[in-house]
Amino acid sequence: MATEFDPVADSSGIRSQPTTTTAFGREWNLTRLWYGFVGTAGFLAVWWAGGREVPSYLLPTPGEVAGALWAELVSGELLVHLGESLLHYIPGVAVGIVAGGLLGIGMGWSLVIDAALTPVVRVLRPIPPLAWIVFAIIWLGLGHTGAAFIVFIGAFWITFYNAYEGVESTSRDLIEVATTLGVDSNRRLLWRVVIPDALPGILTGVRTSVGQCWMMVIAAELFGAPGVGYEIITSANNLAMARSIAYMLVISVVFLLSDWAVRRVRSYLLDWQQ
Amino acid sequence: MRDHNDAAITIDGVSKQYEGEGGTTTALREISLSVSSGEFVTVLGPSGCGKTTLLRLVSGLESPTDGDITVAGKLVQGPDPNRGTVFQAYHLFPWLTVRENVAFGLVEQGVPDAERQDRVQEMLEVIGLSNFADAYPKELSGGMKQRVGLARALAVDPDILLMDEPFGSVDMQTRRQLQHELIHIWRDTDKTVLFVTHDIEEAVALSDRIVVMSGTPGCVQATVSVAESRPRNRSAQWFVDQVETLFERIKSNT
Repeated sequence: MATEFDPVADSSGIRSQPTTTTAFGREWNLTRLWYGFVGTAGFLAVWWAGGREVPSYLLPTPGEVAGALWAELVSGELLVHLGESLLHYIPGVAVGIVAGGLLGIGMGWSLVIDAALTPVVRVLRPIPPLAWIVFAIIWLGLGHTGAAFIVFIGAFWITFYNAYEGVESTSRDLIEVATTLGVDSNRRLLWRVVIPDALPGILTGVRTSVGQCWMMVIAAELFGAPGVGYEIITSANNLAMARSIAYMLVISVVFLLSDWAVRRVRSYLLDWQQ
Repeated sequence: MRDHNDAAITIDGVSKQYEGEGGTTTALREISLSVSSGEFVTVLGPSGCGKTTLLRLVSGLESPTDGDITVAGKLVQGPDPNRGTVFQAYHLFPWLTVRENVAFGLVEQGVPDAERQDRVQEMLEVIGLSNFADAYPKELSGGMKQRVGLARALAVDPDILLMDEPFGSVDMQTRRQLQHELIHIWRDTDKTVLFVTHDIEEAVALSDRIVVMSGTPGCVQATVSVAESRPRNRSAQWFVDQVETLFERIKSNT
């Protein structure tokens, strides 16, 4: 599964720009910055012009949104609601990544586990995490636990798939080398070769999970779990659209921050890669 | 000449067949060969003659369909660190530094920390890569990678070194240098070496004995002893003649 949230971030193919070490590269970066500024200004201008023409409950202006955001920030409400979201996001993602990663490694490595669980996995995996919301509500209620459950399902399958692929495609050659150097148990082989070799794939799964699961969080909260998504929908119900958009921007910011953090961890752990 | 006493490797009537879609392919037929302790034996042959298969059988990565391979009197039934293997494509662990790659086998043997570090340091000095101890394989040239591959195999102090076209992926200059270093290491450590190559000059420059193979199926055509002292002068008449003789022999069989 690709990291479809940030297609440009790792661009290295046809979209790769001139390197920054050349004079031309620096010039292009400045130009790029300038274009970005113009594009953003243009976007805000169009938004602003549109917002002026219609009532605020249809489309608030950028200024009104900024005002709402500021108000939420100084009143402390923003942090409270973000905290509520994190309260189900973090446990859901963490448990989902660990459980999905373990099952993926187990199935990728053991032919027996693979054969036994493949039918079940084939049927369950395509079910969108949100479809499980009915069980989340019936079993757990739509509080933190129910929302965490939805997030867990999302992180679980994404990480599972990446770990499975990573382990299954472990280099046969490196396994052979390890056996000629005295590795003679499955446990040592997993620890010394298979998992390190699969780590890039597993971390891709982690990164995708961390991103995708913000969607699960918001979706669960639109159904009533407390948090940022709940504020988006209740503000909209009260026609306080500026507040709605303010919380939408909060999602964007926490997404960017969490993705950045995972990318940092990833490049730290994978500094041996080409 | 060192004295070549008891047989370190005995290959006795070994055949290897693969079952494929188009039926059975015979890769090796009735190979018998014995390598003395401390001897440097090269298996020479064209691509596809089964020489790599033979080496994989000795290393224990594959098992023969027929016949037995014994090493130091014991039947080969799987890989063993006492038979260090060096691969053409290096196969270094990319996530480990040079130091950690060299230490890999020692870690698996449970060698105590201090002793392990000393041993790794010693190996790094032998291959001249002390300055690259903390580099990752991606930062190394082909020649450096193969030095690490060699040091990794040697670190656990195996009696036998199995080398599968180890210098086949590096440029001419580096290849000569590595051959030179290998001979030094071999002399200093008294290993038994089974070396596979298709490079005739390499075989003549390095070996006590050259086993000429032809395919397919792979079988032994001839065995040639080279008694000249090392380092061998490649422009000497005997060397040129030997290379030419071997070349004609291989050509007539393919």
